[in-house]
Amino acid sequence: MALLEVNDLKTYFQTDDGIVKAVDGVSFSVEKGKTLGIVGESGSGKSVTCLTIMGLNSKKNTITSGEALFNGENLLTAGSRRLREIRGNDIAMIFQDPMTSLNPVHSIGAQLVEAVQLHRDVSKKVARARAVELLKAVGIPRAERRVDDYPHQFSGGMRQRVMIAMALVNDPDLLIADEPTTALDVTTQAQIMNLIKRLQDDFGSAIIVITHDLGVVAEAADDVLVMYAAEVAEQAPVEKLFNRPFHPYTWGLLGSLPRLDIEVERLVQIPGQPPSLLRPPSGCRFHPRCPYVMDKCKQVDPPLVAISDDSDHLQACHLDEETKDREAKKLLESTMAQAS
Amino acid sequence: MAEDLLVVEDVKKHFPVTRGIIFQKQVGAVKAVDGVSFTVKSGETLGIVGESGCGKSTLARCIMRLFDTTDGKIVFDGRDITKLSRANMRPIRREMMMIFQDPYASLNPRKRVGQIVGEALEVHKLGTASETKRRVQELLEVVGLNPEHYNRFPHEFSGGQRQRIGVARALAINPKLIVCDEPVSALDVSVQAQILNLLEDLQQDFGLTYIFIAHDLNVVRHISDRVLVMYLGKVVELAPKAELYDQPKHPYTGALLSAVPIADPERGRARQPIVLEGDVPSPLNPPSACNFHPRCPRFQAGHCDVVDPPLYPFGDGHIAACHYPLERWPLAADEFRKPAAGHPPAETETSAVS
Repeated sequence: MALLEVNDLKTYFQTDDGIVKAVDGVSFSVEKGKTLGIVGESGSGKSVTCLTIMGLNSKKNTITSGEALFNGENLLTAGSRRLREIRGNDIAMIFQDPMTSLNPVHSIGAQLVEAVQLHRDVSKKVARARAVELLKAVGIPRAERRVDDYPHQFSGGMRQRVMIAMALVNDPDLLIADEPTTALDVTTQAQIMNLIKRLQDDFGSAIIVITHDLGVVAEAADDVLVMYAAEVAEQAPVEKLFNRPFHPYTWGLLGSLPRLDIEVERLVQIPGQPPSLLRPPSGCRFHPRCPYVMDKCKQVDPPLVAISDDSDHLQACHLDEETKDREAKKLLESTMAQAS
Repeated sequence: MAEDLLVVEDVKKHFPVTRGIIFQKQVGAVKAVDGVSFTVKSGETLGIVGESGCGKSTLARCIMRLFDTTDGKIVFDGRDITKLSRANMRPIRREMMMIFQDPYASLNPRKRVGQIVGEALEVHKLGTASETKRRVQELLEVVGLNPEHYNRFPHEFSGGQRQRIGVARALAINPKLIVCDEPVSALDVSVQAQILNLLEDLQQDFGLTYIFIAHDLNVVRHISDRVLVMYLGKVVELAPKAELYDQPKHPYTGALLSAVPIADPERGRARQPIVLEGDVPSPLNPPSACNFHPRCPRFQAGHCDVVDPPLYPFGDGHIAACHYPLERWPLAADEFRKPAAGHPPAETETSAVS
């Protein structure tokens, strides 16, 4: 049984302008010790998917349906007290912005101790020892002394390490990292990604990494979910996604990425803008920007189905497989030819 | 050979740190830019990369004369502009424009697009109101926006469209030089590709010269002709693009390159990244001599922390400030740690800045 199994998850927000379908029928599962990468542009529903699983959306204006089974327990119907037990204990989350996700008026130590004591009946002294131990684990020098420092005394990369320490305080089974490195420099990003990988090896947690950086996904994820306009466009193990991409949106993403190892004369651009989720386009939501658009695409929303010779590789597109194989090959050959 | 449009010579920008309320005593200086020299040829794109806090943006603002430099000389189009007064600077401002990072903060929310793009035309008194309007509509079309959006406010546009407005504003007075300060780092990849393509098209059509500042090495490789790497206010390496990415000489450049994730699972996982320890030191109190030495895997005690490395030439306009430059690339992680046995330190000769 998968650690987390999400089936047909839908999150709709009621707004003054109408209903925003922020997540519209997303399914995936994460196994223990594996990493799932969720990629997509801003507003594609990556973060809302995870916030819904964690029960962190405002109850008032949100309609959710589907199920999110964590060890067989449906998180979407769990009570708020039960959710509080799970959050920070079994499932932990690392947020994007390390500058705003720590409380500026409490010391790092106090915030870590709070996280320990919420879930474990231990003395303050034991909790503090645990805090120091974790700060050491995430590579903060002189942890015994830094534990009493305040967030403003740490740099961006160090704060993100503190966030990770806080997430790991109770050895979670599942770690959700929402753009963990977006606000950081490349060298710091490499440090943090190495750290997350090492901790996964040590603790055997499952990880969901949300990112818009295909490079991060290629290096860190085992499976990838490509989201576009609240839906899953393509879902596959990481090598398959990069070696045989099967959705025009994925081609667009790969083509529009300037790369360090490849000299490209001109980037392939996806024309237009991501659609408004208030009034998404009819049929396939990608059709107004898709160069392969057919009449069918404008009317029928393509279901997410496995490609005929590979049951692990799911995609939602009407285009026939022959054309796709040909186009995917063309895309890869053009990048391989340019790679030195 | 194309002429030099911009010559920057040993530019320094130190921000004083003071103590005391009434009798402010200077107790130190943040050396944001500390002796940077380079030239930009007409029609080329110079990329500037480095981590946050390395002085990229301060340098850009010094070039634009938005900051007065502490020391050094800036020659634009054959004229020394370092000490020009505001009034004398004004005609020169028509020749250089800037595109800013954040498309949400760099447009005045209370002005209409037409006013934002046309403001420079008004300031420099180029044409009547109707001429200005025609020119603005033409510009909006050039950057791929609908000219009928002339009367809209910035909030009615998406991030990518706003950055197009920023580009139109920079183009309004036909500048020679455009300084782009992280123009695409706030945008999604698909929109980023649109803006990068637009900048390239405009460069061809109008013969523009760009200084392109970014922390994303992928983007800089794509758009630049030459690349300058900065660390703690100093130039560590400057080279033509292909040279820099295929044959980096400075260990810091090597570490930066190896830290960039590659969007190819097989190749990305096969390589061994060099992970730098720690953070960028404070520019208030930079390390002695080579200021990269506390983080450098090739650090040699008694040399790197005593003698400040000059910019050694490596041919073809490739210069790097390191006593123990990388012999080849890529290096395996263990090779990277120490210079090869018997590897002689680079000869001490005065740096030739091309």
